[in-house]
Amino acid sequence: MIQDKKAHMFGMVIDLDKCTGCGSCTVSCMAENNIPFKEDESNKKDSLTWMRVYKVSNGKSFPDTQTAYLPRPCQHCGGKGDHGHSPCVTVCPATATDYGYDTGIVSQIYTRCFGCRYCMAACPYHARYFNWWDPVWPEGMEKYLSPNVSPRMRGVVEKCSFCYHRYQLAREQAYYNETDEIAEDAYQTACTTACPAGAIIFGDLNNPSHKIHQIVKPDPHPDPLNHDVVRKSRNPKVFRLLERLGTNPKVYYMSEREWIRKLGDSYLNGEWEKVKNHYGSASHD
Amino acid sequence: MKVDRRSFLGLGLGAVAGIAISPVGAKLTDDSSIWTQNWPWTPVPPDGKISYDQSVCTLCPGTCGIKVRKIDNRPVKIEGRDSFPVNNGGACLHGIAGIQYLYDPSRVKTPLKKNNGRFEPISWEDAISLLAKRLGKIRENQSPDTLACITDTDLGSVAGLFRHFMAAFGSPNHVTMPTLESWLALTAQTLHGSGHTLGFDLDNADFILSFGAGFIEGWGSPVACFKANASRKKRDAKLYQIEPRLSTTAAAADRWIPINPGTQADLAMAMCGILLQENLFDPEFATGFKGGLNRFNAMVQQKYPLEQVAATTGISAADIKKTAIAFAKAKMPVAIPGKGRGNGAQSLKEFAAVHTLNCLTGNINKKGGTFVKPVHNYLAFPDPVQDTVARKGRARKKIAASVQELVTKVNQSDEPVVDTLFVYNANPCYTLNEPMQAVKAFEKIPFVVSFSSFMDETALSSDMILPVSTFLERFEDVPSKAGLASSVVGLTSPVVDPVFNTRSPGDALIRLAKACGGTIAQSFEWDNYETCLKNLVPGIWKALSRDGYALVLQASPTGRVETDFAFLADNPPTIQLQGDFDLTLVPIDNMRVISTVPASSPFAIKTVSDRVIKNKDIFVEINPQTAKGFKNGGFVTLTTPAGSAKVRLDFNEGIMPGVIGMVEGLGHWFDNKYVSGKGVNVHELISPVIEPGSGLDAASGIKARISKA
Amino acid sequence: MDAALIPEGAKRCSFPKFMLGIAIVGAVLLWGVYAMLLCWFKGLNQTNMNDYYGFALWIWADLAVIAVGGGAFFTGLLKYIFKVDELKNIINFAVIIGFICYSSALLILAIDIGQPLRGWFIFWHANVHSMLTEVAFCLSAYFAVLTIEFIPNVLENRQLNKVPFFHHLAHNMHGVMAIFAATGAFLSFFHQGSLGGVAGVLYGRPFAVREGLLIWPWTFFLFTWSAAAFGPCFTLLVTRITEAVTGKKLVKDNVVHLLAKISGWMIFTYIIAKIIDTIYWATVTAPSLGFELSHFYTGNSFYGYWILITEVIICGLIPGLLLINKSTRENPTLRLVAIILGVIGVSLNRWVMVLQVMAVPVMPFDTWALYIPSWQEVATTILPVAYGIILIAVTYRYLPVFPQERELNQSKAQES
Repeated sequence: MIQDKKAHMFGMVIDLDKCTGCGSCTVSCMAENNIPFKEDESNKKDSLTWMRVYKVSNGKSFPDTQTAYLPRPCQHCGGKGDHGHSPCVTVCPATATDYGYDTGIVSQIYTRCFGCRYCMAACPYHARYFNWWDPVWPEGMEKYLSPNVSPRMRGVVEKCSFCYHRYQLAREQAYYNETDEIAEDAYQTACTTACPAGAIIFGDLNNPSHKIHQIVKPDPHPDPLNHDVVRKSRNPKVFRLLERLGTNPKVYYMSEREWIRKLGDSYLNGEWEKVKNHYGSASHD
Repeated sequence: MKVDRRSFLGLGLGAVAGIAISPVGAKLTDDSSIWTQNWPWTPVPPDGKISYDQSVCTLCPGTCGIKVRKIDNRPVKIEGRDSFPVNNGGACLHGIAGIQYLYDPSRVKTPLKKNNGRFEPISWEDAISLLAKRLGKIRENQSPDTLACITDTDLGSVAGLFRHFMAAFGSPNHVTMPTLESWLALTAQTLHGSGHTLGFDLDNADFILSFGAGFIEGWGSPVACFKANASRKKRDAKLYQIEPRLSTTAAAADRWIPINPGTQADLAMAMCGILLQENLFDPEFATGFKGGLNRFNAMVQQKYPLEQVAATTGISAADIKKTAIAFAKAKMPVAIPGKGRGNGAQSLKEFAAVHTLNCLTGNINKKGGTFVKPVHNYLAFPDPVQDTVARKGRARKKIAASVQELVTKVNQSDEPVVDTLFVYNANPCYTLNEPMQAVKAFEKIPFVVSFSSFMDETALSSDMILPVSTFLERFEDVPSKAGLASSVVGLTSPVVDPVFNTRSPGDALIRLAKACGGTIAQSFEWDNYETCLKNLVPGIWKALSRDGYALVLQASPTGRVETDFAFLADNPPTIQLQGDFDLTLVPIDNMRVISTVPASSPFAIKTVSDRVIKNKDIFVEINPQTAKGFKNGGFVTLTTPAGSAKVRLDFNEGIMPGVIGMVEGLGHWFDNKYVSGKGVNVHELISPVIEPGSGLDAASGIKARISKA
Repeated sequence: MDAALIPEGAKRCSFPKFMLGIAIVGAVLLWGVYAMLLCWFKGLNQTNMNDYYGFALWIWADLAVIAVGGGAFFTGLLKYIFKVDELKNIINFAVIIGFICYSSALLILAIDIGQPLRGWFIFWHANVHSMLTEVAFCLSAYFAVLTIEFIPNVLENRQLNKVPFFHHLAHNMHGVMAIFAATGAFLSFFHQGSLGGVAGVLYGRPFAVREGLLIWPWTFFLFTWSAAAFGPCFTLLVTRITEAVTGKKLVKDNVVHLLAKISGWMIFTYIIAKIIDTIYWATVTAPSLGFELSHFYTGNSFYGYWILITEVIICGLIPGLLLINKSTRENPTLRLVAIILGVIGVSLNRWVMVLQVMAVPVMPFDTWALYIPSWQEVATTILPVAYGIILIAVTYRYLPVFPQERELNQSKAQES
């Protein structure tokens, strides 16, 4: 068996200035991961969408209003202090969701999950979805299902896996090629490869040669203002969702537009002005 | 031994205790959980050998290369094809969802013939011979021109075969649906002479002035546009978006300039006037101007004075001037016409005026500019063999120049002007303005034959359906169009055997021609569509079959082209919105909803926002100022001169006061629970208005009002 | 007809009348069973829960019945450990109520989970970090304890007690009950606490999250304290209802007053802790995450400050004070008002800590999520109530639940 020399930490950075909200990532994810659909999917609160694209607004009136799109896969949180105690992983009573210390990926074992949904209550990103229904495909359509991801039975929770099966395939391929390195382009998620705008960049945050590392420049030191927060980006245009909660997501977002960056987290009155130029942990006074 | 109640009780208790301590309970508990992990009704996809096929997507005019992942022979996933000249990796949601169309619940699985209002299956042989017999009678009656044909486009070999059939048969009545490409070709023809079309080098332009083009919402070749947009930041290329609402394009643009609906043409005319007045046009290119540049200049200065246009468009005079000058002063400016996706009802005046801006800057046939390209003629069709009937019929006057006009003529005339109608890859009974008029016309036409993969509105209104294979099941040449700078032909090839009893449309037509016999059969001497295609593209077949695409124009056109101002100098009228209500209803093109053929896939519909469709109801965008007295999310009756509908209000600060926006592509009424019966078809609320210059429908909106539902 | 089974010297209504009552409540029970079967066979799409409301009415019902069922462990603790001997006159009933509450909680959990047949994975694949694992273990263990506490009372049935073995078993079990009461109190402390922890550890949910002691968030202690405080209120309330239905006095006033007084002081101290917790959370915890208090109580059509005031002041502080004060405590009407308010208060607290947690938007661009349960959820939530009524009716009819019943009603007969 090959041994990875160093633990990976797979992550994603999404350029919100490039994102057009076209929905390719969502559909690619659904096609890749055998996500079912039903007659009415207009209730977004029971619509299995591992990769959901939110439309966000600056809240101003016409004609100063601005909008943008924000794709939201599972954030693959490292949890407080990045110790692997993700909000969902710690609460799962049956160890059906787990943190991969070698990949940074939060997994979900569908056959072990018994559907208590505590993880969903724990996730502030609403990245977790419950199979309220049996998955049913119109007659004949089950022929397009992929064998790489098992369709989920009713009554269990599911979510984005960073296309973990693609990681497994890449690892097998690397083994076959007798190398212990997984090349950057050998493991890419379905949303990343689908994005027609090239807005999603996926790779190993621990690997300085990977594009994501170069863009995000994750700071290994905890944030001096909040020791739960680590891996803050040192790129002033990059932010994470709800960073202050200390969930330490591995999905980063990037935008030139300040109002979008501000929407990444909650701020008390006047707080944003004080912290908006804080990036990484070194930039604090 | 005494057996009494007590012994039974004891025995029972003993049995219970025995079972309780035996492993039976544990085993059953374990087995039941294993059963839940393997419920027989949850599918387990079979594993197999992975392979990849290459093809080209034909779901929209975009011409994207795709890669199809297959497990054994099952296609399981479509992704964008790397190193394909149009999309170069990446695909849009509709292409990725493409496999769903193979098994779509509304697919037509076998030829159908309508008997007493109900479709009944019929064999291909019977269908073809029945149709051939009918067509034979038409020709016996010396009226071959009563056969009409509607296709989605006139490009490519499939449309070519229909055209070829009509020629051999003897009918001039072949009309196509209005698309961005047909509008661009018409514009090029009007300004630069026939045989041209327009392409835009958006990858290199440094200033894109969009007159409402949904540049990143499905306009042109969507993936190519997404990529061009994504690289703007790096290239420091500006995008100005002029339209009444904050579309996704407007939101991504450097500037959004809200404009009163239907006044884009006036704005472009005024901007032309500014460029001419300020001497901001390219003198070298101007040497190719003819048809009365001075007359045009005099006209725009007189008819489109800045202050007046400012009032018409709702944009301040200063803003208009500033924008025009910024555009003219850019190094590589491109103005793009075509509201939304650019198909359906548009205005030739608007297209021509916008393209005139390009012409004035002189950024034509240059890198980062607009290309006036010759229309590809890579297809080597032999001359059709015509008999006297055909020649006579062919010489008769065309019934109509457009599908819209055909519908009107059929409905207006007492005589049956069309006896038999072919419809291929078009859904006029849904996409035209006032589509129920098309349904009515189709009912009036004695025999409508739909060459369709899906039981859509038009197929439902037909008398016979010849089911055609989807793009994943057949060959087809796909020429690039819709404003792409490059001139590429892609090859769609079958990645899977037809799932149902369907044929390639080319094959259906070749068999029909053969069944018709005589000169028609002689015109179709090919054995099947595949050999036909090979014969039609001798020059590029090798490249097509090897690479999946071929470049038909090796380099972009260069050099000066002549520009004729005659059309605009006559100041064709701007189409006024119909009705006298206070508000204006405009259709919205939403990337996630297909507004033409085929209808959206279940996956695509799943991604549609709950502020567009909720349950079965559609939302319309409205500025809160305009909706005073109404509730956000509440139901209202939306009324236009064409009709009324119950809709819900989506209070939206991103739309101009006075304007109501409704997403196109919803409100289907064919049988597909995942896609149909959701919302309202906006075209049912818009009446067509024919633009004199083009003879085409130019109603891109209509006056409307809302009232308590 | 069933006279042989009825405790000696006790008067009960006629058997047909009894069965009529049981039939009426039984119909409600069957309705609940039908809804339960729908949920099991068709899945949880029968509910109005969704991906924002993974926890909803059922989890609230679970938390609420366990909170009000807390009367059993707390009364047991007082009686057996702190030797408050008067409480022997109400302990049987407290145990029965506890038994009903806990069995109901387990039943609701079995309906609530998406894969009931795999429910045992919580034990098999237990994740020791999860509050829910702790809940499952302690809940099951405590339910076993409650069953053991209940058995002697069952064995005191007139017919069963005639069997010498049962007679002696019941007697001996009474003797060792202190050990079980202690075990029960210990287990209860943990699972009541873990149920509080369920919300308190959600550090992704600023409305729920609390700081705390070691691994236990403050809600851990608040839940235990509130269950101990309000549980006796519920015991008293059900006793009062039973007295009203049967038309008999079943427990002497001094017992009731004592329990009410203890409950009052527990509520009062709890509510002080709760107020301190709320202030600390509102001024330190939530703002440190970027949230103003107003974020949690405005911007939606249901959750306003009213819910906080109702829970803490009207249904917390007020019943506490009413029960502490001797004159109001011993006034039957005011006492009844206080215990009703108390039961509402603790239920409301559980509601807030489950449902409002789900409702509050966390991502700045997210919106409030409101929810109305489906009839299936309501029916399955009423199911345990019907079951409880039937069990109380049956136990009251056939078991000597209230030791003072004979004495109280004889004297009454003599007086008249």
